[in-house]
Amino acid sequence: MANEELIYRITRAVYGRLGAQADERTVENLVTDIYRAIEPVVDGAGNGGGDAGGRSSSGARRGLTAHGGEAEGSSNRLIVSVFGVDHPGIVAGVAQILAESGCSIADINQTVVQGKFAMVIIADSTNSNAPVATLKERFRAAGDKLGVRIYAQREDLFNAMHRI
Amino acid sequence: MEYSQAEILQTVRMTEMEHLDVRTVTLGLSLRDCAGDSIERTAERVRAKIERTAERLVSTVDDISGELGISVANKRVSITPASHVAGGAQSVADCLTLARAIDEAATRVGVDFLGGYSALVQKGWTNVEDLFLASIPEALATTKRLCSSVNVATTRAGINMDAVARVGRLIKEAAELTRDQGGLACAKFVCFANAVEDNPFMAGAFHGTGEGEAVINVGVSGPGVVNHAVRHAPRDMPLHELAELIKKLSFKLARAGELVGREAARRLGLRFGIIDLSLAPTPLRGDSVAEIIEAFGFERAGAPGTTAALALLTDAVKKGGAMASSAVGGMSGAFIPVSEDAAMIDAARVGALSLEKLEAWTSVCSVGLDMIAVPGATSAETIAAIIADEMAIGVMNTKTTAVRIIPAPGKVVGDMVEFGGLLGTAPVMAVNSFNCADFIRRGGYIPAPIQSLRN
Repeated sequence: MANEELIYRITRAVYGRLGAQADERTVENLVTDIYRAIEPVVDGAGNGGGDAGGRSSSGARRGLTAHGGEAEGSSNRLIVSVFGVDHPGIVAGVAQILAESGCSIADINQTVVQGKFAMVIIADSTNSNAPVATLKERFRAAGDKLGVRIYAQREDLFNAMHRI
Repeated sequence: MEYSQAEILQTVRMTEMEHLDVRTVTLGLSLRDCAGDSIERTAERVRAKIERTAERLVSTVDDISGELGISVANKRVSITPASHVAGGAQSVADCLTLARAIDEAATRVGVDFLGGYSALVQKGWTNVEDLFLASIPEALATTKRLCSSVNVATTRAGINMDAVARVGRLIKEAAELTRDQGGLACAKFVCFANAVEDNPFMAGAFHGTGEGEAVINVGVSGPGVVNHAVRHAPRDMPLHELAELIKKLSFKLARAGELVGREAARRLGLRFGIIDLSLAPTPLRGDSVAEIIEAFGFERAGAPGTTAALALLTDAVKKGGAMASSAVGGMSGAFIPVSEDAAMIDAARVGALSLEKLEAWTSVCSVGLDMIAVPGATSAETIAAIIADEMAIGVMNTKTTAVRIIPAPGKVVGDMVEFGGLLGTAPVMAVNSFNCADFIRRGGYIPAPIQSLRN
């Protein structure tokens, strides 16, 4: 998805310079060339961040498109919060979805107060094999089955709201 | 853990239970390069440019909304005031051709409203604007998504009373043309003093002439969040502490909104414009500005003291938001659209809230008399006079004020008018029935106030 976006942005930039009358094939070739030229760099940034940043506790903020001017880079981390009535299997159910989707757990915090279950997981979705929308759909279905509410939101939101 | 349980819970509660949402992501788009010799050419270019630029707006914003888990209520487009590109128009029918092309483009890109069928006539109108103003009622009656606005006053220019009178007649005509829908066309029309050029909210959004090619503007909202906090605060909490509480929440709302806006701009390859901090209610229970005011300690919105409470609320919202973002713009305050706010409707129905009290509120809130239904028998002159009062508040206080009023055909005080969706349901409110027609018929203009001489 991110690559598609990058290609779209390059195309826009090319059209911006050449004008709307530019020959379609020339533009297509130009975009392909540019993309090929920068592809290794872009990929390197994505994967490299995954290896080096995985351990860091500073909440490495990275992403394919994080170079976009002053724009805040999008975090690959999700905050998964789970609330409901306690019973065996909730942690396992949620963890299973994360494992199957290729997400690793960066941090986890779980408590039970008077039978009420609350858990927050910070999950790293850098190597996830599913888009966030799919992940959320899996959580919704699992939540129904487990009788709990599961919310998954990108970490950026929490960072924006609670950190200056 | 990097975030405390309380922080995470607060965010989840806000987004899931207290209706914290981004009210609108609005793509502001310049159409100045679309003006052509003939209206057909202009219409075609306008249609193509809107469709090309806004093509991915809805899907991109929906993606972001899903990932962040924060709902985005509306995706919209605002354009250069259409009267500025209608130079080729020879007739009212030509203007309508343009209106329909814009509306079709809005439908194609899937936005719910498109604003900018607008004219700025605070000092007078050109020949084309004359045709354009005449086309507004039919343009609104025969399109679905098009919104229109007319700026009739500024602090610098004073109030164009000829335009005010004309807008009064225009509103009556628009109501008549949509008689079977309760005068729906009027719900898509706003009359302004000191209109802002980067407002993302409808019906008054347009892309000002000082703006760039295309920008993403965001209107954040969250009356539900503020309402919950004020209701759960101790009943004897002093007002300055309530202000502090609201400020802190407003900061968080603004940060969430800016995040969505910047992300949308980045993905669409456009510039991020502004975030509008206005608290904007929806017809949902709890998501109400009137309920916040009532939570300050009033039986009903409209009671004595509510102007002071609204002043505190608006100011606190601005202060928190100003700290959160350096790209604050638009209206930024509190909206008080009667038909879109459940507690406001209740207050009007039981007689706690009158048109006059609403007018007083508008001197301290973000905009003006908004989504107010009045009896269908209200004359064009009386509507013009209501507008003149509101424009005077804006001009004298160097603030934006607006009027969105619906003289609902065939309806009398106490009736309800259903507009559907976000536009809600409006109780028909009483209008002071003493005659003001001779004042309006004088025409001319009200000179700019002394505070306009600031250089």
